[in-house]
Amino acid sequence: MTVQTEKDWKDIIHRCFRCGYCKFTHDYSDFNCPSYNKFRFETYSTGGRLWLAFGAINGDIEWSEGLANVLYACPTCGNCMENCRFDKFNFMLVDFIEAARAEANKQGFCPENQKFLLERTTNETYFNPYAEKNSDNEDLKKQFDLPDEAEWVYFIGCTSNYRQKNLRDATLRFLKKAGVDFTLIDEHCCTSPLLRTGQLSPVKDFMNYNIQKIKEAGASKVITSCAGCYRTLKNDFAKHDAEHDLEIIHTSELILQLLKEEKLKFNSEFNKTVTYHDPCHLGRHSGLYEEPREVYKKIPGLELKEMKRNRENAWCCGAGGGVKIGYPDWSIEISKERLEEAQETGATIISSTCPFCRTNLSDANKAFDMGFEVLDLVEIIDQLDYEVIKE
Amino acid sequence: MHFPMNNEKILSDLEEIVGKDFASNKKEELFIYSLDPGASLPREVDYVVMPKSVEEVQKVVQLANKEGIPIVPMGGGLTLSGLVLPVHGGIVLDMKRMDNIIEINEMSKYALIEAGVTTGHLLSYLNENYPNLQPPVPDAPSAATVAGNVLIHGSGYLSQKYGDHGAMINGLEVVLPNGDICKIGSCSLSDYWFTRGPIPDLIGLFTSSFGTLGIVTKLSVKLYYKPKFRDVVFGLAANFDEIPNILSKVTESGLAEDVLLGMQDKPDWMKGYIFVIVYVTGESKDEIDANTKILKKIYRKTNARYMKTPPRIREIYMEKPIFAATAADFRKGGGFEYVGAFLPIENLPEAFRGGAEISKKYGIVPTIGSRLIGQTHSIMVFFTYSFNRADPDDMENARNALHETNLLALELGGIPWKAELAGQKLILDKMDPNFKKLFKSIRDTLDPNHIMNPGNWEVE
Repeated sequence: MTVQTEKDWKDIIHRCFRCGYCKFTHDYSDFNCPSYNKFRFETYSTGGRLWLAFGAINGDIEWSEGLANVLYACPTCGNCMENCRFDKFNFMLVDFIEAARAEANKQGFCPENQKFLLERTTNETYFNPYAEKNSDNEDLKKQFDLPDEAEWVYFIGCTSNYRQKNLRDATLRFLKKAGVDFTLIDEHCCTSPLLRTGQLSPVKDFMNYNIQKIKEAGASKVITSCAGCYRTLKNDFAKHDAEHDLEIIHTSELILQLLKEEKLKFNSEFNKTVTYHDPCHLGRHSGLYEEPREVYKKIPGLELKEMKRNRENAWCCGAGGGVKIGYPDWSIEISKERLEEAQETGATIISSTCPFCRTNLSDANKAFDMGFEVLDLVEIIDQLDYEVIKE
Repeated sequence: MHFPMNNEKILSDLEEIVGKDFASNKKEELFIYSLDPGASLPREVDYVVMPKSVEEVQKVVQLANKEGIPIVPMGGGLTLSGLVLPVHGGIVLDMKRMDNIIEINEMSKYALIEAGVTTGHLLSYLNENYPNLQPPVPDAPSAATVAGNVLIHGSGYLSQKYGDHGAMINGLEVVLPNGDICKIGSCSLSDYWFTRGPIPDLIGLFTSSFGTLGIVTKLSVKLYYKPKFRDVVFGLAANFDEIPNILSKVTESGLAEDVLLGMQDKPDWMKGYIFVIVYVTGESKDEIDANTKILKKIYRKTNARYMKTPPRIREIYMEKPIFAATAADFRKGGGFEYVGAFLPIENLPEAFRGGAEISKKYGIVPTIGSRLIGQTHSIMVFFTYSFNRADPDDMENARNALHETNLLALELGGIPWKAELAGQKLILDKMDPNFKKLFKSIRDTLDPNHIMNPGNWEVE
């Protein structure tokens, strides 16, 4: 069952009992829902949101700006899905929230800040939510001597391409060094920001455009260093009838595979203590928890320390679900809490596998002067002397 | 009496007390707090307020008194019987920002906590920091508050051995309806919140009175030693009439930490049996095995049958608390409510039979459970009715079944627990007039303006 059709989600949403498990970690030691933790009214729990949406569908409460604000004040981190005990529908809770946002949007109540995401992404000069001139990536192809056609496409993602270029370039260098037969496409936004904020009108066209471009490049595999793009390409395209047979791979998966095959050899050490922040898109939404950890553990000299809340219980960085653009101050407050937790580990580096997490953790690190170095896994590897044995 | 909606002056006064972010009369908050997960119809709320300290509670109460606004304290909001839905509008005081665990006294074995601490949080805190201690844990979801549980005369884990959870209160800090902050129990004269006597025991005034006499802001609850090993031993009984005797023999053995009963017609293999679920504890695996052996013998001698526990079932029952809210999805409808009635144990067979009949009459699969409280001194029987929240007729059907069950419980000499408004009325109708007179005079004395959760326990 999916929440594709209006009927589906509207037929299920009332099954939430509002028991409150969605607010907690697995062991109840803390409230792990960033929204409930901040606002504290029951309204801001996942149960509260579902009951509001059900009330609005039923006509018991009118759609309004205030109601929409409650729906949108959630980074859709998925903690609720992990802790809700109703296994017949708990895996759909974030889908419900996104569907309710789409309904709010249809009723004319999309919050102003989130509207920018749609306006910018559908602007033909940009095709990205950052209002940056669209890069067709031809310059990068020249710079890295990439072919027009290849087995793999590196789907860079808007955040890496326009905000985290160091991460992008580190990934490009790694893929080149690893001898991966890859190219780049004139990619448009993967649609993650639009899906998360219920602005669905152009989504299918964007998805099909990207699939077409990947196919035109002759690729059967797509690798991405962005957890958001990974989740969207892997899980959401099919939900929106943009079917494809592409293999979607996160960079951490490729790196681990190379390490396991003993093709990747490190010739230097990274003598620092690192704590790993699970990106929600990669962890709770895609189930990749151990792959990045295994890579960190295989880097010589690197000491990996876990934060108290990790894996399924990880505290969100606060960037997702439209929160970064909609509630910028709150968004970095959420990251601040993560950095405080990271401080308890004694690590000097907080590392992630998502450019959006990297951005928000960096913003909080700077705003609150927390003194961390924030690096993506690929950026750490980029600092090392390594070799890849090619076939 | 119903207080006018959206009075901006009052909102601004409330914001002044608790801060702008924690007082609301926004439609979204009012909507959510007008509903609870049970079968009650929605009831209007005018303000939702989340205090952080006893002083803030005091000021809210003083304001409510001055303005004549009803005030309803709320914990986890999980009674299912609408006790935190205001009958006459007013302020819902959501206590969950008062969430500090103030002290764990390891030697005298109590936890001093604020009223908004959840049962999950206290359990987790003890597991991590005091693994040899365990708190009273209700069968409710872990978002229930400790205060909410003990103040509604709750029961749950440890109730067989040590009594109902209301009896585990050592002391209270209460904001009285006039705004006085009052300490009750040993804390009224000592730094130790270790006992409720030997002084006049006024703690009882605040249990099961549903916030009509004051707002509890702080409390001490008893903690108990946690044995190193714990297991569950299942028995099956086909004859309802044997149950009181089985329970007597099990409790007389002194081996049971907790005893539950369960009966449901679905899945089919469960039909026709009552499951006796006994928790045994010990300091070693050998002790558990020895205790299990004795229980098997007791089952045999009382015409019950020992049931080897399938791993999946064991896993469900070893979780603390078990996920009792699973009943909410029985009809794919997100709702259930139950009559939890305290009964004399000798009337248990009739209660099970009568409850099953009521369920069948209302087209609901019979699902009845019990928890022994204080050995066989009483037993709490829960008659559960699942419903579809999206279907108003189905919800009304559940309400009717609940009402009929309340009548059954009263007929059998029992008392419906945390009863909804209709159930409260049935109880009051049957109650000794002088009990009612006493309660009313206490209430009128403490709360002359009748602002504390009016509409509940209303003596005509």
